[in-house]
Amino acid sequence: MRIRNILAVVVAMSMTCFAAAQSPSPAPSLVPEPPTDLIVADTPDDAGNSVEVHWNLSESDVFNTLLSDTQEVNPQQIVATYTVERKVTDGNGNEVSDEDASWRKVSEIGAGESQWTDRSVNLGWSYDYRVCAVDNQGDKSTWCNASGSVTPVMQMFNMSKAWLAIWMLLFGAFIAYFINCARSGKKLWVRKIAGLEAIDEAVGRATEMGRPILFVAGIQDINEIQTLAGLTVLSRVAKTAAEYGAQIEVPTCRSLVMAAARETVEAAYLAAGAPDSYQPDRIHYLTDEQFAFVAGVTGYMVREEPAACIYMGGFYAESLILAETGNHIGAIQVAGTAMPSQLPFFVASCDYTLIGEEFFAASAYLSGDPLQIGSLKGQDYGKFLSVLVLIIGIFFATTISMTESDESDGFGAGALNYIQNNILGNEGFGSFGGGDTDIEGDDS
Amino acid sequence: MAHAYTPGLKVTNRMTYSVIRMLPIKGDVMVKVGDNVNANQIVAATYMPGDVYPLNMANLLAVPPKDVASLMLRKEGEKVEKGEAIAETAGLFGKFKKKYNSPYSGTIETVSDVTGQVILRGPDIPVEVKAYVTGAVTAVNPEIGCTIETDVAFIQGIFGIGGETCGPIKFAVENCDEAISANNISEDMKGCVVIGGARISVESIEAARKVGVVALIGGGMDDQDLRDFLGYDLGVAITGSEKKGITVIVTEGFGDITMASRTFDLLKKFEGKEASVNGATQIRAGVMRPEIIIPLEAGDCEEETEQVGGYLEIGLPLRIIRDPYFGMLGTVSALPSEPHVLGSGSKARVLEVKLSSGESVIVPRANVELIEA
Amino acid sequence: MTIDLENINVILATDCGSTTTKAILIEKVDGTYRQTYRGEAPTTVEKPFANVTIGVTNAVTEVGELAGRQLTNEDGTIKTPASDSDGCDMYISTSSAGGGLQMMVAGVIAEMTAASAKRAALGAGAIVMDVISSNDKRRPHEQIQRIRELRPDMILISGGTDGGTTEKVVQLAELIAPAKPQPRFGSEYEMPIIFAGNKMASGEVEATLQEDWIDLAVVENLRPTLEQENLGPARDKIHDVFLEHVMAHAPGYDMLMDWTDADIMPTPGAVGNILQTIAKKENINVVGVDIGGATTDVFSVFDETFNRTVSANLGMSYSISNVCAEATMPNVLRWVQFDMDERQLRNRVKNKMIRPTTIPQSLESLIFEQAVAREALRLAYKQHKEFATTLKGVQQQRTVGDTFSQQTGGNTIVDNMKLNLLVASGGVLSHAPSMNQTAMMLIDAFEPEGCTNLAKDSIFMMPHLGVLSAVHPEAAAQVFERDCLIYLGTCIAAKGLGKEGKPCFSWTLSGDVATSGTCNFGDIELIEMGPKETATIVCEPARGFDLGAGNGKKVTHEVCGGTVGLVIDGRGRPLGLPEERQQCQQTIARWVENMALYKEMEEAVVSA
Repeated sequence: MRIRNILAVVVAMSMTCFAAAQSPSPAPSLVPEPPTDLIVADTPDDAGNSVEVHWNLSESDVFNTLLSDTQEVNPQQIVATYTVERKVTDGNGNEVSDEDASWRKVSEIGAGESQWTDRSVNLGWSYDYRVCAVDNQGDKSTWCNASGSVTPVMQMFNMSKAWLAIWMLLFGAFIAYFINCARSGKKLWVRKIAGLEAIDEAVGRATEMGRPILFVAGIQDINEIQTLAGLTVLSRVAKTAAEYGAQIEVPTCRSLVMAAARETVEAAYLAAGAPDSYQPDRIHYLTDEQFAFVAGVTGYMVREEPAACIYMGGFYAESLILAETGNHIGAIQVAGTAMPSQLPFFVASCDYTLIGEEFFAASAYLSGDPLQIGSLKGQDYGKFLSVLVLIIGIFFATTISMTESDESDGFGAGALNYIQNNILGNEGFGSFGGGDTDIEGDDS
Repeated sequence: MAHAYTPGLKVTNRMTYSVIRMLPIKGDVMVKVGDNVNANQIVAATYMPGDVYPLNMANLLAVPPKDVASLMLRKEGEKVEKGEAIAETAGLFGKFKKKYNSPYSGTIETVSDVTGQVILRGPDIPVEVKAYVTGAVTAVNPEIGCTIETDVAFIQGIFGIGGETCGPIKFAVENCDEAISANNISEDMKGCVVIGGARISVESIEAARKVGVVALIGGGMDDQDLRDFLGYDLGVAITGSEKKGITVIVTEGFGDITMASRTFDLLKKFEGKEASVNGATQIRAGVMRPEIIIPLEAGDCEEETEQVGGYLEIGLPLRIIRDPYFGMLGTVSALPSEPHVLGSGSKARVLEVKLSSGESVIVPRANVELIEA
Repeated sequence: MTIDLENINVILATDCGSTTTKAILIEKVDGTYRQTYRGEAPTTVEKPFANVTIGVTNAVTEVGELAGRQLTNEDGTIKTPASDSDGCDMYISTSSAGGGLQMMVAGVIAEMTAASAKRAALGAGAIVMDVISSNDKRRPHEQIQRIRELRPDMILISGGTDGGTTEKVVQLAELIAPAKPQPRFGSEYEMPIIFAGNKMASGEVEATLQEDWIDLAVVENLRPTLEQENLGPARDKIHDVFLEHVMAHAPGYDMLMDWTDADIMPTPGAVGNILQTIAKKENINVVGVDIGGATTDVFSVFDETFNRTVSANLGMSYSISNVCAEATMPNVLRWVQFDMDERQLRNRVKNKMIRPTTIPQSLESLIFEQAVAREALRLAYKQHKEFATTLKGVQQQRTVGDTFSQQTGGNTIVDNMKLNLLVASGGVLSHAPSMNQTAMMLIDAFEPEGCTNLAKDSIFMMPHLGVLSAVHPEAAAQVFERDCLIYLGTCIAAKGLGKEGKPCFSWTLSGDVATSGTCNFGDIELIEMGPKETATIVCEPARGFDLGAGNGKKVTHEVCGGTVGLVIDGRGRPLGLPEERQQCQQTIARWVENMALYKEMEEAVVSA
C-alpha cells in the first residue's frame, strides 16, 4: 500500500514535469542543451599532475560550428559558461576528504571553449568528471558524464620534445667529437679571424712607435658577457704587449671591471715571463658616466696618441666617438662588440672588427684550448644543421605558395607541416604527412 | 785541360804538421817558442766574460729610467753576490724603502739611464786550450795563441762527428774489410782510439761509448746508423760540436765500405802509439775534414811517401765515389778526351776504369778519386 | 769615374764565385751588344794562391785566347782601353768568393723593422745569418749568446719609426756592445755597424756603441714611418761598407778593385739588379732562382717590388742532405716513378754531401737528384713567399663593404697568377741533360698559374749583366734579351682542383702553331713550339678553374715557344700527388711520359 502510494507520487511528479516542459507556458524555465561526448584523458608527456578534459560544445552554444546557419538558438538558452565538476574515486591509498570524494566544481570555462586541463590532480589518484552548460540565467543543462574515471600517470619521457632531444644529442655529439679530436692532437681548422691576427700587428706597431696601446673593455659592468669576452681578449693583448715590451693603458668605466682587468693583465704579464713590467696604475677607473668616460678616453687619445686602440666589449653611442678619434690620431684600431647597432660604425672606422659571434669565439680562438676549440667547432656544426632545416622549410613553404595548390595533403605541405609541428614544434615524432595533426599556435 | 784534378784525401806516413792553437779572446799563453808540449798540456788559458743578465731596474723599482743610476747601491764595475741588495728606492720621507736583491752573482757592467736597464755580468768562464798534438812550439802570438809543429803520420777521414781527443791506437779487427760489431769492443779499450775495418754499426758505437773508447774509426757507416746514434737527421755537414762522449770518423764514405788498405796498414804500423783525433767536419767553402794525427818518434818512417792527389794518368789506382759503382777500386785504363753521353743523358768527360774484379767500366771523371797503391 | 758610354765597344765582365771565376766578353756587333766569348778558371782566394786576381787573369786569358784578342798585359792586369785587336773598354766584376757578405741584422719587431732590415741586407746581396728582435722569443742573455757565436762581417741595426721608440733600439745596441761579436777577419778588424733606425735614437745608440772595435755608420731610417719603407740608403751603405771593409780584407781584392771600372758587387745583389731592370723595362713580374750546391737564392719582382731570399741550407751538394731532412724522404720520393731502397738512398745522399763534386751517372740517380731539386726549389720558394710580403703594422682603410672580407696586413705579394717570367739558373737546372727536365722541375716546384714564360740563364750571365746594368743599362738589356736567356717555352696552368679525368679546360691555338684540344684534370701535355714561334691561345676553363681571368672565365694569352714548347698543365693548383705510393708512381710515370722527360736519355743510352 505504502509502496503504491510512493509510486503514484513519483508518477504524478514526473507527469507534472513532463507537462511543464510541453506546455507553452509564458515563463518557461529553459535550460541549455548539454555538452556531449565528454572525454577525459591523462595528459601525455607530463609528470602525472594534470588531466585533459574535452567535450563537444552544447547545441545552445553560439560558437558551436556544427550548428547550421539557419538554426537559431533561443536567446534564453545561450550558453554562457561550462561548469566542470570532479570527484575522486580512488585516492591511491591516501585518505580522501569527503569534499573531494563528492562532486565538486573545479572550473568554469567560457562559452566556445571545448577543453580544459585540470592541473590540480594528484599523481595516481582516480577521478570522475562531468560537465554541464550554464546559460546567462544560471540555468544548468543536464550533466554530461565521462565514460569512465581517469588516473593521471607520469611518463618517463616527454615524447613531444623528442626532436629537441635529438637536436641536443646531435649537438652534444658534435661537441664531444670535436673536443676529442682536438685533444687527440688533430688540427681543427678555425677560420682566421683577421681582427685577432691583427693584435700582434697592432702591438708591434705600438712598440715600434714607442707609444702605448689603449684598451677599452666596453662601458658595461663585469656581469655582462661582452665585458668578459673583452677581458679574454685583453689577456691576449697584454701578453703580447709584455712580450714585445709595449705599454698598455686600460681605462675602465666600472670599478669592478678595473679590478678584473688588473688581475687579467697581471696574469698575462706573469705568463709572458715579464712580471716586473706590469704596472697596475695604467689600468684605472675613470667614471661610471657614459659621456664623461668617453670624454676622458678621447682626451687621453688626443694627448698621448696611442699607436693601437682596441675596443672589445659592449658599446653604445660612444662607439663612433672613440673610433673616429682613434682613426684621427692614426692608430691601428681593432674593435669587437655584439651590439648590432654599433657594428657598422666600428666596421667603417676601425682597421679590424670582430662581429658578434666572432667576438665570443675569440677566447676559443686565442686560447687554442682543445675544450674550447672543440666546442666552438661542435656548435658550428649544430648551427649548420639548424640552418639546413630552416632552409628546407623555406624551400617547401616557397614551393607551396608558388604552386598555390590548395591540397594541403601534398608531399610539400606534409613535409612543411612536419617540420613546423614535429621537428620545430611540440608534436614529437608523430606521423609524417598527417592531415590529422592539427596546427597549433605554438611554433618554436 | 788535358788533366783533370780529382779530389783526394791526404793519407801520409810522414809530413810536418803544424797547428795553430788560439784562444777565442785574448788571454795568457803559457808556453814559449821551443817548448816541447804534450797533447794534453794546456798551452793557453783565459777567462771568457761571463753570461749577461739584463735587469730592468726601472720596472723592478717602479721608477723612471733616469733615476735608476742614483738609486743603485752598487755602482758600475762592482762585484755583487746573489741575494745582495743592489738598488733601493728613495721611499717616502726616507721610510718605506724598497730594496732589490740581485738574482745572480756577478759584476755590474752598465747602468743605462735610457732604458733603466742594469747589465749584470756573471762570473768569468775559464777557457783552456790544450796542445792537441805532441810537438814543439814554433811560434807564439802573445795573448792569443801559439803554433805547434811536429812530424806526424797524417790521415784525413771523409766524415766525422765529435771533437778533439787523443789516446793510444788499438785495433778491434784483423783486416781492413772486417766490419766492426759490438763484440769487437772490449773493456781494455777504455781511453783508446779504436780502429775498425769496414762498416761501423750503431751497436758498436754504443758499445764503445759504454766502455769509454775516445774515438772509433772505420771505413764507412750507414746514414741510418748515424741518425740512430745522433738521434736526429744530420742536415748540414758541419760537425765537431756534438757532445756524445766519443769521436767517430769514417775514412771512405757512407755505406758498407772497406777502409783503404793503405790507411789501415798505416794505422797498423802505429798500433799502441798515441794519436790525436778530431772528428770536426765542415763541407763548405773552407773545407774541414776529420783527421787522425800520429806524432812520429825518431826513426819512424824516415822516407816520405808520395803525396796523393794530382792528375789522372793511365795506370793510377783510384776509387769510384758515386753509384752505381760506389766504393769500387780499380785503375785508370783509358782517358778518352771526347765527352761521353752518360746513362743519365748528360754529357761529361769520362775515363775507363779497370776494376779490381777485372771488369772495365766507364765513369765520369768527377766521380773518381785517386788513391795510392 | 765617368765613362763615355757611346764609345764602349768591348766589355769584359768577371764573376768570382767561391769555386770558379767566370769571365765573359761583350762586344758591339753591328751596333748591338752581344755576348761573344766566355771562359773560366778556378777561383784563387784560398791558399795556396790567396789572391783572387790570379784566377781572374786566368779566366780572362782564356776568353782572350778564344776571342783572339789580347786582354791582359804582361803583368796580368787588364788591358784598357780597347784598340781594334786587343784590350777592352770596360772591366767590371762581381764577387761571392769567401762565403760572400755575411751579416747579422737587428730590429725591434721581427715582422716590422727587423723584416725591413733583413730585406735591405738581402737586397744588397748579403747572407743574413740571424735576425735579432725584441720579440724573437729569446731571453736577452740568449740573444747575447747568439750574437757572440756568430761571426758576421757587418751588423745592421734598425728599429723604431722616426720619433718612435728609443728605448727598444738602445736595448738592441746594449745587447750588441757587451756581446762583442768576433769578425771572421781577425781581431784587428773593426766591426762595421750600420744604424738605420729611429733618427731620434741615433745619439744614444752612438753613445752605447762607442767602442774601439766598432765602426759605426748612421744612415736614414729604413722605416721612417710604418707605412713607408726606405731601403735605399741602408742598401747603399751596406754596399759601401762591403767594399771598404769586407773586400779590403779578402786576398787580392784591393788590386781587383783598382782594375774595375765600376764598384765590385756581391753576386746576388747583381742578379737582383738585372732582374729589376728587366722587370721595369718590360713591365712584367719576374721570379728568378739560382740553385747552388749550398744555397738557393730566389729573386722576385712583383709590381716593381724587389725581394730576395737566400735559403741557406737548401742546395744540391753540400746541403743535399739537409733538403732530404727538411722535406722528408717520402716527399722527395713522390717525384720518382719507381721504387728505391731508402736505406741505400740515405747513404747515397750523404755520399753526395761529403763528395759534392760528383755527377749522376745512371738515369736512376739523375731522376733522384731531380726529385731532390724539386723539393729544394719548392721549400725555397715557400720561404720566399713567406718573406716577400706587404708591410706589416700599417693602418688599414676600411669601408662598410669590407665587413666580411677583412684582411690582415703583411700578405705575400708573390702571386703565381701574375707571374710572367720564371728564370732558372744553377747547376741542376741549367745542366740538366734535357731542357724538358728543367721546365718540368720549374713547373713542379714553383707551380706557376695562368700563363708563364719559362727561361733559363744560359751560362749564368746574370751577375755580370747586373753590374753592367748599373753602368751601361742599354748594353745590359741588349745582351740579356739576346744572349742571356734561353727560352724554354710557356706554361699554361689552371688554378683549382677537380676530379681526375674530368675536363679542366679547352684551348685553341692560332698563329705559328694552330691546333686545339681539351685538357683533362690531372693531365699534362706538351705541344711542340719552336723558339721564336708565337701564337695566341684561347682557353675556356671548366667551372672551378681559373686561368687568369677568374673562375671559369674565358681567357686569351700570347704564348711563345722555346726549346721545350708549350706546356698545357691541367694538374690543378695547388699541385697534389696521390698519397698512395703505387698510384703516385703511376701518375708520375704518366707525366714523365707526356713530357718526354727521359725519353732522349733512354734512346741515347741505347745508341751508346
